[in-house]
Amino acid sequence: MTRDLDTTRAASPGATAATIGATNTGSGAATEPTAATPAAGPALARRRGLRRLSAVAMVAGPGLVAANAGNDAAGIATYAGAGSQFTYGTLFFMVLVTIALVMVQEMAVRLGAHTGKGLGALIREQFSLRLTALAVFCLLLANTGLVVSEFAGIGAAFELLGVPKWAVIPPAAILLWSLVLFGSYRWAERIFLVMSLAFFAYPLAMILGHPHWGQVGRHLVVPHFEPSKDFVLLAVALIGTTVSPYMQFYAAAGVVDRGAKPEDYKLIRADAVLGAVFACVISLTIIIATAAAIGGSGPLQSAAQAAEALKPVAGQGAELLFAFGLIGASALAGAVVPLSASYAVGEAAGVERSVSRSFRDAPLFLGLFTAQIALGALVALTPVDVIQLLIGTQVLQGLISPIVLVYLLVLTNRRSVLGAAANGPRYRIAVTTVVVGVAAMSTILLVQTILGWIGLG
Amino acid sequence: MSTTARLRDRKAGAERRVSATRTVRTSLVSLAGLVGGPVGNQAGQEVGRVVDVVARLYGPDHYPPVTGLIIRIGRRRAFLPADHIESLHAGRVRLRTARLDLRDFTRRPGEVLLARDVMDHQLVDVDGIQVTRAADLYLAPLADRTVLVGVDVSLPTLLRRLGPRRWQVRPTPERVLDWQAVAPFGEQATHGPAEVRLRASRSALHRLRPADLADILEDLGRTERQQLLGWLEPEHAADALEEMEPGELENLLREAPPEHAARLVDEMEPDEAAEALRDLTAGERERLLQGMPSAEAAELRSLLAHREGTAGGAMTTLPLTARPEQTVAQVRAELAAQAEHRGDIPAVAVLDGEGRLLGDIALFDLAVAEDTALVADLSEWLAQFGPPVTVHPEIRLAEAADHLVAARATSLLVVDDTGRPLGRILADDILDALLPERGRLHFRRLLK
Repeated sequence: MTRDLDTTRAASPGATAATIGATNTGSGAATEPTAATPAAGPALARRRGLRRLSAVAMVAGPGLVAANAGNDAAGIATYAGAGSQFTYGTLFFMVLVTIALVMVQEMAVRLGAHTGKGLGALIREQFSLRLTALAVFCLLLANTGLVVSEFAGIGAAFELLGVPKWAVIPPAAILLWSLVLFGSYRWAERIFLVMSLAFFAYPLAMILGHPHWGQVGRHLVVPHFEPSKDFVLLAVALIGTTVSPYMQFYAAAGVVDRGAKPEDYKLIRADAVLGAVFACVISLTIIIATAAAIGGSGPLQSAAQAAEALKPVAGQGAELLFAFGLIGASALAGAVVPLSASYAVGEAAGVERSVSRSFRDAPLFLGLFTAQIALGALVALTPVDVIQLLIGTQVLQGLISPIVLVYLLVLTNRRSVLGAAANGPRYRIAVTTVVVGVAAMSTILLVQTILGWIGLG
Repeated sequence: MSTTARLRDRKAGAERRVSATRTVRTSLVSLAGLVGGPVGNQAGQEVGRVVDVVARLYGPDHYPPVTGLIIRIGRRRAFLPADHIESLHAGRVRLRTARLDLRDFTRRPGEVLLARDVMDHQLVDVDGIQVTRAADLYLAPLADRTVLVGVDVSLPTLLRRLGPRRWQVRPTPERVLDWQAVAPFGEQATHGPAEVRLRASRSALHRLRPADLADILEDLGRTERQQLLGWLEPEHAADALEEMEPGELENLLREAPPEHAARLVDEMEPDEAAEALRDLTAGERERLLQGMPSAEAAELRSLLAHREGTAGGAMTTLPLTARPEQTVAQVRAELAAQAEHRGDIPAVAVLDGEGRLLGDIALFDLAVAEDTALVADLSEWLAQFGPPVTVHPEIRLAEAADHLVAARATSLLVVDDTGRPLGRILADDILDALLPERGRLHFRRLLK
């Protein structure tokens, strides 16, 4: 028996408010006559449970959800790594990534709003089967990487609390899997969400940590690039954790799901843009807070070191607070990420996709979901350094991201898909620049890595 | 029967199956394998490549006939009428003439491009009651024409299409749906003449149970969903809409053309319609109500005045009431005229001249009463078993459910302070309120 779960949209790096706006009861959406949202109030209480008012929006507003976005394990590790290794050096790059994220998310929700189809379905209908298979493969690869990072995050958090990861990860995987399939995820989700609020200590920590505001300001506007391999690696990881492939699928699916029509597009776009900006602002505070606390101490060593950034807020309890947030955020994403990938693949393949079907009825969907969780938990158990693993998964995302972006770009350029809402010439140039930029970073990294292998690095 | 004999039997059976499969395979042509294949003239020289196959999807035929090919010759695309084709084989086309009469392709009514509009797109499998995507289409070359006979929906076929060209041309009919049993959507296709629009599969669509149809509607994309709704009779569609998840229904009504949506809501049971309208914004609600006949709209407005979760919010209107001076035969005749309300008249309320409630006569009592008996006498006789179960519109639905359970009745009457009935709550609405959500969970729910 499953009931409907309304899962937070907070559970992923760079999640946007695009999938959130409708749950919002105070964004002004409710007052717009054409808004895709019912008026708040009693109309929201439905006979079959609160459908729109997700757990998240009940706890707080959509802004919070978006802020939670950058807070999954891999995101925190990557941002903290950026802060500890390059102090404020990556800030300008993050500003660029923010612009990229805004554009990419806007394209995803535009496709969703105007076609009423998910990205998986659109890719299958618009590209050849081989290209569809490539996209599906990339998405699964990137998402499995993400799932690995979520479980690694859970493991790291428990290690902070003194529990070895091999004792935690398998039960956590089984628990998440059964929660989703047997349908009490909705309640668990609220608990995870409240736990992940711990990361809201970061903005506070940034202010209390007395960063060099002058330097921060300069680094935000002055371009800074180091041709070193470490910097490129981290830059790709930053791209991967922010503009992760799965986010585009997720944002589009959310819009389709709300039944938003082209008329609602303005509102949806505002949501997407605000959400993306907000998420990136939070990411920036994590970098700055970490830089102020442990900046310049070389690459991030451990989760305990990352937790130090929270010392100004929590003092001795910093590690506890950090672990707490990490468990919540990782568990949130650990369910949504594999589900959304399975959903997109099921959509592209045209098979049953629903959690309440038996394995016989929906083998592909449930099989993919199970496989991702199993594989994610297994890889997370390998005795690799956790931080390396976390950043590594984000590098993988960053490498795959440009491939998925090309699909998105081609789809939004096609008049046969979007009609008048297709990219105009100027926008096309801008977005192409973004995609080329992201692809260039990935290529540089690949070339450097290969050169390193053959001893020229 | 000895073991050897049994083994021999089994072997013979297996061989039969293999040869049957082979026969089917050789007689079918895979569309995926045909696209990109060479087009040769009589002498066997290649003149071009197949780009797409044109078939008349919406026509009088049971199986859509292929009306021509779109081929690429050098850099030009041209249309080749079907009567120029001598043979269609796995991945190869031979032409009848050496002379090519090429034209640019323009769609004629009911025609679709199979590879572009049908393959890889959604379609409804009417027998399996699900929405699926066409992995491949199979054509059967007959003596005088080629027809589209089936749709392949299996995953292995997708893998075959990913493979090298040699695999692609070979049909793998593992799970093939007969063309009669699918409802395809040609997004770009114009419909054929109106009288042939109802193909076999569409009439098959009408055999689906409303709940199954609701599942299918929930699975379809936006345009396909609207197309399917257009094919269904409004009453049938309305039954399915009543079964849909409220959120999905809300989306569906929002994206449908307003006049069509109004028609559908008009066909729904009033209580379900009111609930669907509650989910929409005020502007959308008004637009739909204005598209309806004024009497129905007024009825719905009065239902909408009540809050959700109260008895008033769950009631449906009373399509039929009786007066004490009527005879049972008269009431039965009126009932007969209300066939479309079959589902929401479990009993007939008796009202006095002032519109106040006197009694509630269950259908059973109406059925067994004498034709000439007066309604007044019948309701008086029934009064000895207790008064009709009534509730006020403001009470909570859960409380109303308790009343219903206590009274062991099948429905409740909702009455205002002056004792005038406003509507009736049916047992199924009470069930909906009592039972936890038991719908299929789509991942979509996760996004909310």
